[in-house]
Amino acid sequence: MSTLETIQDILVTKFALDRTKLTPDAGLDTLGIDSLAVLEVLFEIEDRFGLKIKEDTPDSLATIQDVVLYIDSLLMKRQASESTVAPSMPE
Amino acid sequence: MTGLGVEAPLGHSVDELFTNLATGRSAIHVLPISLGQDLRRAIGATADFDGQNHFPPARLRMLDRVSQLALTAAARAVADAGVDFAAEQRNRCGVFVGTGMGGAQTTDDGYHTLYSEKSDRIKPYTVLASMTNAAAAWIGIDYALEGPNLTFSTACSSSAVAIGEAACRIRSGEVDVMLAGGAEAPLTRGVLCAWDAMRTLAAQDAKDPSASCRPFCRTRSGLVLGEGAAFVVLEDWEHAVRRNATIHAELCGYGLATDITHITRPTVEGQARAMRAALYSAGRHANDIDYVNAHGTATVQNDAVETAALKDTFGSRAFSIPVSSTKSMHGHLLGAAGALEFIISLAALQRGIVPPTMHLDTPDAACDLDYVPNRARTGIALRAVMSNSFAFGGTNATLVAAVAT
Repeated sequence: MSTLETIQDILVTKFALDRTKLTPDAGLDTLGIDSLAVLEVLFEIEDRFGLKIKEDTPDSLATIQDVVLYIDSLLMKRQASESTVAPSMPE
Repeated sequence: MTGLGVEAPLGHSVDELFTNLATGRSAIHVLPISLGQDLRRAIGATADFDGQNHFPPARLRMLDRVSQLALTAAARAVADAGVDFAAEQRNRCGVFVGTGMGGAQTTDDGYHTLYSEKSDRIKPYTVLASMTNAAAAWIGIDYALEGPNLTFSTACSSSAVAIGEAACRIRSGEVDVMLAGGAEAPLTRGVLCAWDAMRTLAAQDAKDPSASCRPFCRTRSGLVLGEGAAFVVLEDWEHAVRRNATIHAELCGYGLATDITHITRPTVEGQARAMRAALYSAGRHANDIDYVNAHGTATVQNDAVETAALKDTFGSRAFSIPVSSTKSMHGHLLGAAGALEFIISLAALQRGIVPPTMHLDTPDAACDLDYVPNRARTGIALRAVMSNSFAFGGTNATLVAAVAT
């Protein structure tokens, strides 16, 4: 499942939103997703992707696509740190 | 008073609630909640209420049960009043709410996450859902009430205070319309165990749990917690007449007096001073009151003290006024108790029916008034009624209402 699909799935199952309205450019405000609801979505994302988000959520998240890009950036960071750490790991 | 609304044990409407009370039905039952090590089950009076039937999921996440109950009862009061806030000067409309424990379930859930599950994933809405003024805030937002928005937390007299204070604001000319009432949702394990620890909860009746709360009875053993919400729409008399509103009754008296001896111990003087202050503010005499809805918690202390306070206030007439504690059926709604019981008193006034004190079969020498035991009294012309709400912390509040003339 892609990041977009995962976020859509969370919004449908946890927030009972209509999937057809969850296009990438849909505004979070319009969907009734305020900054605290975004935090709840991120909790769910942590579970599903096995992530631990330590940094503060950026204020610039305005659309679903913004959240997708934010999560993808975190996933990429994790991948990068895993690949740099890997060589020093015992075989 | 032009609007009444409840979401309570025994009723989604004032009619349903009062019919159940008049037939002596009790909402008290065994809860699926353990009180701890000896596996005793808690008893309580639940409202037949599922927030999912009233609010969309995204909104429900932000609302503790106490706010769900409050919003539902407030909506019914507004509908009953037929008031259109869009046609009012919004800065002259407000809301006062009484609640003792606020969003108790949310607080309980947060601690459970933190201490039992050892997780730091506390819900982001925890503060907003549990804060004591959440219910008042949501009501204010929903109806765009720009005037005063206050929450009173004086334990078991909270919502009687909210209603009385709202009436004062109207009398002062500061506002035109006020929504006032109370809400409480204390049937959580944490709250029940805390009350149990204080040794104030009734022992469960072995044969019939619904008969566990026995106000004024010699075998009374304490209170039973209940949940729910009750609201009234109060407005200036001329304002109500101008918009052709149906006037249910006139809130004519409000008295406050404080016990200063101990944080839990009631005093005859404190309770009697509240009742006298209410009579004085109503411009009425002891002879004018035809029914008293007692605080009547079914604790050993309260019921004896309240009986003495009624005698102190009403003199020999105390013996001929019907006094009942409907807590025997709907339980003790703490911060919502005052509003619920005031509405029950109004329903009695309007219908000429005095609801009974149930499960009162063994007289107590310290409780020797006419408590309308076990059977409602019908066909009684009531001119004015009194509702008592006394509290831990000592804030005693009494409301008086009379037939609208």
